[in-house]
Amino acid sequence: MSGFTISRRTMLAGSAMLLASTAMPTLGWAQTPKKGGRLVLAADSEPRNLNPAIVASNGVFFISSKIVETLAEASFDGKDGLAPRLAVSWEGAADGLSVTFKLRDGVKWHDGKPFTSADVAFSALQIWKPLQNLGRTVFKDLAAVDTPDDLTAVFKFAKPTPFQLIRNALPALSSVVPKHIYEVGKIEDNPANNAPIGTGPFKFGEYKAGQYYRLTKNTDYWGKDEPYLDEIIYQVLPDRTSAASALEAEEIQLAAFSAVPLADLDRISKVPGLKVISKGYEGLTYQLVVEINHRRKELADLKVRQAIAHAIDKDFVVKTVFLGYAATATGPVPKNDPQFYTADVPTYALDVAKANALLDEAGYKKGADGNRFSLKLLPAPYFNETKQFGDYLRQALAAIGIDAQLVNNDSAAHIKAVYTDHAFDLAVGPPVFRGDPAISTTILVQSGIPGGVPFSNQGGYKNDALDALIAKASETLDTAARTDLYKEFQKQVAADLPLINVAEWSFISVARDTVGNIANNPRWAVSNWADTYLES
Amino acid sequence: MSPVRRFLSTPEAVAGTILLTALIAMALSASLLFPGDPQAIAGPALLPPFQDWSLPLGTDRLGRDVLAELFHGARTSLAVGLAAAAAALAVGSVVGTLAGFAGGLVDEVLMRITDAFQTVPSFLLALAFVSVVGPSLGIVVIAIALGTWTGPARVARAEVLSIRERDYVASARAIGMHPLAIAFREVLPNALPPVLAMSSVIVAAAILTEAALSFLGLGDPNRVTWGGMIAEGRAVLRTAPFLSIVPGIALVLTVLGVYLAGEGIVETTAVRRGLS
Repeated sequence: MSGFTISRRTMLAGSAMLLASTAMPTLGWAQTPKKGGRLVLAADSEPRNLNPAIVASNGVFFISSKIVETLAEASFDGKDGLAPRLAVSWEGAADGLSVTFKLRDGVKWHDGKPFTSADVAFSALQIWKPLQNLGRTVFKDLAAVDTPDDLTAVFKFAKPTPFQLIRNALPALSSVVPKHIYEVGKIEDNPANNAPIGTGPFKFGEYKAGQYYRLTKNTDYWGKDEPYLDEIIYQVLPDRTSAASALEAEEIQLAAFSAVPLADLDRISKVPGLKVISKGYEGLTYQLVVEINHRRKELADLKVRQAIAHAIDKDFVVKTVFLGYAATATGPVPKNDPQFYTADVPTYALDVAKANALLDEAGYKKGADGNRFSLKLLPAPYFNETKQFGDYLRQALAAIGIDAQLVNNDSAAHIKAVYTDHAFDLAVGPPVFRGDPAISTTILVQSGIPGGVPFSNQGGYKNDALDALIAKASETLDTAARTDLYKEFQKQVAADLPLINVAEWSFISVARDTVGNIANNPRWAVSNWADTYLES
Repeated sequence: MSPVRRFLSTPEAVAGTILLTALIAMALSASLLFPGDPQAIAGPALLPPFQDWSLPLGTDRLGRDVLAELFHGARTSLAVGLAAAAAALAVGSVVGTLAGFAGGLVDEVLMRITDAFQTVPSFLLALAFVSVVGPSLGIVVIAIALGTWTGPARVARAEVLSIRERDYVASARAIGMHPLAIAFREVLPNALPPVLAMSSVIVAAAILTEAALSFLGLGDPNRVTWGGMIAEGRAVLRTAPFLSIVPGIALVLTVLGVYLAGEGIVETTAVRRGLS
């Protein structure tokens, strides 16, 4: 029996190499998917609210994207980087005032009711626009959704809205929830937020706090023959070191979102039966950013910000903190973005002498103890890497005579300290780039954002030229002209440094060889997994 | 036999003294042997021990010198341990003396407060306190003292209850001394020895609590602590176990040293009392 398994594995590995050599964009095995089986995987957080229409975040998507579907999903080879889900086609009007979605026929909610355009209209107007963390910006001008028939939804905008933005927003922002469940009572308090009902390939089974989430197969799913899996179990393993041992012990078959620490990957890649996959997160790029409080008079001086940028050794950060699983950043758009990225921006190479000279010029001379001034540095606690970069930044700043005092907080206290109380001088944050600068990137530098909005400009930065550029880009309909404006945006941000972009990284999955169709789209970990399967 | 020689005649006391002396020497010499910031990046990351003799114990994930961190961490551990124990003993003996000497309602109130503190596990109390107020060295000391003063308070009260009936206390009353003066000048000094005997246990517990708080990320992030080092090393436990093992051993030896030395002192005093 074991001999059979080994020869089969060898054969599979061979076919995988063949696949790789043909430069296929996917990493799937050349096998017809098998039906059945239970996929057990590691989950490191336990979101309470599982409604992705309200909380558009990766922690929620990781679980609920299998239950609640969006209008479209990101795709490696689809047109405009999209693949249809609940919508089969989408078209923007030339004047930017409307977008027409044709919806999929024969789709049923998990409770048996039919899915119609009324559900899309309800989700967009009642949830995405008023309640969703990201939808508030993107859908701010959405005035109405017309539903001429059950399978057509026409989004009407009060002001011209770029179709490119709406398209780019579809994978993360367009989760459709059932109107008949949500129209009674307050949406935020609806019990379906904790036990979601959707159209996806899996139904919500149960949740045991501190133990697991269980999703079961939706036998009525619209996809032909899909889903393949009978069950998905999210085993709660909050301790990052335990995911690796659980994989080795065959207790779990998959650890996504870098649940296995980067330092362990080298070792675990040599364990037979396990594979390390760095694909499938291209649409979920995290950015390592130094957030700056411009209310501090020293930091309001461009020379000081330039000095800090020159003090950071980005290559060291990528090599040591991220162990090579990252890329150095040049500006607010990550290098792996196919639409907007430009390398033509001012750059800041590591140059301690120049940094010291800039600080001297700015009038902050070194005191008797070698320090120029003291700063409060708040590294975000969400990732090991953000904390480690905080430790590194403190040392890098010490080299140019800035004494940074670290302040550690838990997640809730960090968000309050930085985004509500503004009780920081420098902070290390991991904002996410979501395929379009207008979704969650421009708000990092734009002025006039009310206090308390997490992951936005709460550093008191105000630059009228940049604000005007952002406003202009948000109403430019022509895709090429809009893209050029965002290239100019990157240039201006890199020149004026409202924040300092240090590195860009994504996640790593570790899975057993038996898990098939992994990483076959750019948001794989947060996609619906209808085609994921297990071999015996 | 002089007390010192008697103290040194027990093997555990000798072992404890050697360990403690080494620890104190480490703490005192940290700035001389490793001047500058121990958290400065000194070499390539994750260098194993005994490879490069300028970095004998290797480096951590950012390339910081583990030996320098170990020496500076000894300072933090010792400082927090001693300060927290001193605070706990001071508060505990004052509360215990007042309760025991005053009796009645004051005794009731103070002892019920002590009970209240004792019902909450001391580590949880420290954890809650630090997460509310925010981590810094002083706060960590207060947080640890908060959970450990009750032991000394109870012991002090029990001692005071027996001492206050003695003749010399009655005579002090008779000559019209102020009750507070009697309590703190006459009674407390005589009630102290058994309270002080608890100090070694308290110091050891305080060092461990500090390490546990740092391990959970609630220590002062601007200082090197052994608990913090262990926590840092945990992420690479399988690839670089020395990062957790080295400070772990240091922690074990320190706690053992404090405890053994304390045992030695208790034994010595017990013998002297028994002989007299």
